[in-house]
Amino acid sequence: MKRNLRFYFALFFAKGTALVLKLIRRKGTSMPGSWAIILCPDFLGRMPRPKTVIGITGTNGKTTVANMVEDVLSDRGYDFVCNRSGTNVNTGVASALIANSTFFGKPKKDLAIFELDERSSPKILPYLKPDLLLCTNLFRDSFKRNAHIEFIVDILNGYIPDSTRLVLNADDLLCAGLKPENPRAYFSIDQMSSDGTECHNIVRDITSCPECGGKLSWDFVRYHHIGRAHCPACGFHSPEAQYRASAIDGENHRMTVCSGDKSREFPLPNQTTINVYNSLSAIALLSEFGLAPEEIAASMDKLSISATRYSEEEVNGRKVILHLAKGQNPIACSRAFENIRDYPGKKAVILFLDDYFDAAHSVENTAWLFDTDFEFLRDESIVQVIAAGARHWDVALRLLLAELPKEKLSHLRENQAAAGELHAEQADAVFILYDVYTIALANHVKEQVKEILAGLPEKGEETAHEN
Amino acid sequence: MKIEILFPESCNLFGDMSNMRYLKKCLPEAEFLETSFDMEPVFLTEPVDLVYLGPMTERTQERVLAKLFPHKEKLRELIESGAVFFFTGNAMELLGSYIETDDGRRIDCLNLFPFHARRDMMHRHNSTFLGSFQGKELMGFKSQFTFAYPEGELTGLFPVKKGVGLNPKCGFEGIRSHNFFGTYLLGPLLLLNPDFTRYLLSCMGAETAALAFPEEMEAAYEARLKDFLEKT
Repeated sequence: MKRNLRFYFALFFAKGTALVLKLIRRKGTSMPGSWAIILCPDFLGRMPRPKTVIGITGTNGKTTVANMVEDVLSDRGYDFVCNRSGTNVNTGVASALIANSTFFGKPKKDLAIFELDERSSPKILPYLKPDLLLCTNLFRDSFKRNAHIEFIVDILNGYIPDSTRLVLNADDLLCAGLKPENPRAYFSIDQMSSDGTECHNIVRDITSCPECGGKLSWDFVRYHHIGRAHCPACGFHSPEAQYRASAIDGENHRMTVCSGDKSREFPLPNQTTINVYNSLSAIALLSEFGLAPEEIAASMDKLSISATRYSEEEVNGRKVILHLAKGQNPIACSRAFENIRDYPGKKAVILFLDDYFDAAHSVENTAWLFDTDFEFLRDESIVQVIAAGARHWDVALRLLLAELPKEKLSHLRENQAAAGELHAEQADAVFILYDVYTIALANHVKEQVKEILAGLPEKGEETAHEN
Repeated sequence: MKIEILFPESCNLFGDMSNMRYLKKCLPEAEFLETSFDMEPVFLTEPVDLVYLGPMTERTQERVLAKLFPHKEKLRELIESGAVFFFTGNAMELLGSYIETDDGRRIDCLNLFPFHARRDMMHRHNSTFLGSFQGKELMGFKSQFTFAYPEGELTGLFPVKKGVGLNPKCGFEGIRSHNFFGTYLLGPLLLLNPDFTRYLLSCMGAETAALAFPEEMEAAYEARLKDFLEKT
């Protein structure tokens, strides 16, 4: 698209807005991009793009993976523009491009890395035309915004440019089937000891063959529709991956990745399965970009998962763990619940699951709670579950439907008082689950929990007395 | 007691299967039959106390229509004879005359009730609904690409008190015909509304069945209703 008067007016106005925001010391806002798009709706199409554009999309993990990819590239000395401090929708991308441009809009940097919201693809992908696009996975997400996965797959298939090289999850048939004619590379995790042949989750969004509609036969199921399958009727099967995690060494935080006839160890900042996928997808993307495996491994050694998504602290031999569980996202919460179940020792769990905005101004659509696997929380190792917030009765009802014993359940409306319900002496670890908009609340309650734990006898001492 | 769930492998969106999980708790002795796409519906050949169909994707709607078209007259006969059907979300649309898509295409439906649906995939409607059922307040949630438009005499299921009915100008939500209950309201409708659930159970011949978790259910209902009236 050619630059016209309207484009330049929008660009100058947006740059002026950015300057004012800088003067009043407001950072990370997508306001300049919002103004640019209001004034020139096809602004992204007219804005000159950097020579190379990398996109990272998918339902879950895209922020973590984008952060990893950016950290590795920074460590290797690459200079690039990204939307890390802004939003992952069209206005955030426009703001980042505006900030990276000269007075007349020419890009200052040749490389762009953008985390992209999959639902916003129609407003971004046809204009930005990424050279390389990673899709981490595709799952049910917010019912209100993303409807169902067929809707999202149709959007991506409709708007991913034909020229874009794709990096896709071979263990996710919805993701692996995107834009079948586009050039691509796949990543996959080899069968793990925890994999089974039956799905234990409520949600499984692909059960029939994408080619002939016949019933799929599963070689193994990891969770939901993640796993490997084939169709006995037509011979269709999950694609072979170019990047395979063949061994996970949780103790030493390493994983082995095979690519072609070579295999190499890579660091693993967090060994939960979703984070193995996150690291593996970052390795696949960076390799496809052209980095050598040893460069990627050396830089990944310096990484950790952002403390805003997961953090552990120890007080008197007991852990306090903050774990992000994206609200209204049944899969993200189900994964968090399974992580809690699988964490060693006895656990207490504090749930802040309400949508921050709905809780303040309306009544949240609680349907998503019923696609979420609360059943993981009825495990014997979980000694207490506390649900707090405006919809605490609904969460309590959901937990009872999941057969959580009533005596393990506490619930209350007042978020700030949640720690007061805690029977911490029974637990080796206290998990606090929170949404992206309730980080401050989670941190506040974490401090209260730490105070409670500090008042208890040292965990090791207590065990010695019991013995 | 037999309860048939139609095509649960695909017609399971928006947490609606929780309605059946909840009924299992209320009716522990009941037999729940899951009829997949490669099977013939049980209600065609033997009496069933409830037939349930949940929300589905737009392409699945066409698959389900193809599956049900040969049994259209049997469905009509069963509805008219008082058999109990509970269809949630866009499952209800399959019993209208047609669905009009964004590009103007018409998908013929079973034409058992005089209404049609119109899709707008670029605009998703999300809202909270307050209506009434048998004089009691009933709440639910909507999240949909379609609205339904009556073409003739149609009995609504829930008169609108606050929110949006079958379409923004319609005074009722859902469709009621004999013991056919169809509604756009999604998710755990039965868990959300104890009085409606008791009524549905009585239609199924389970008048004496006790609701599972009655205290929590009532408390959740009251808290939700209070919040809705105060905040919106």
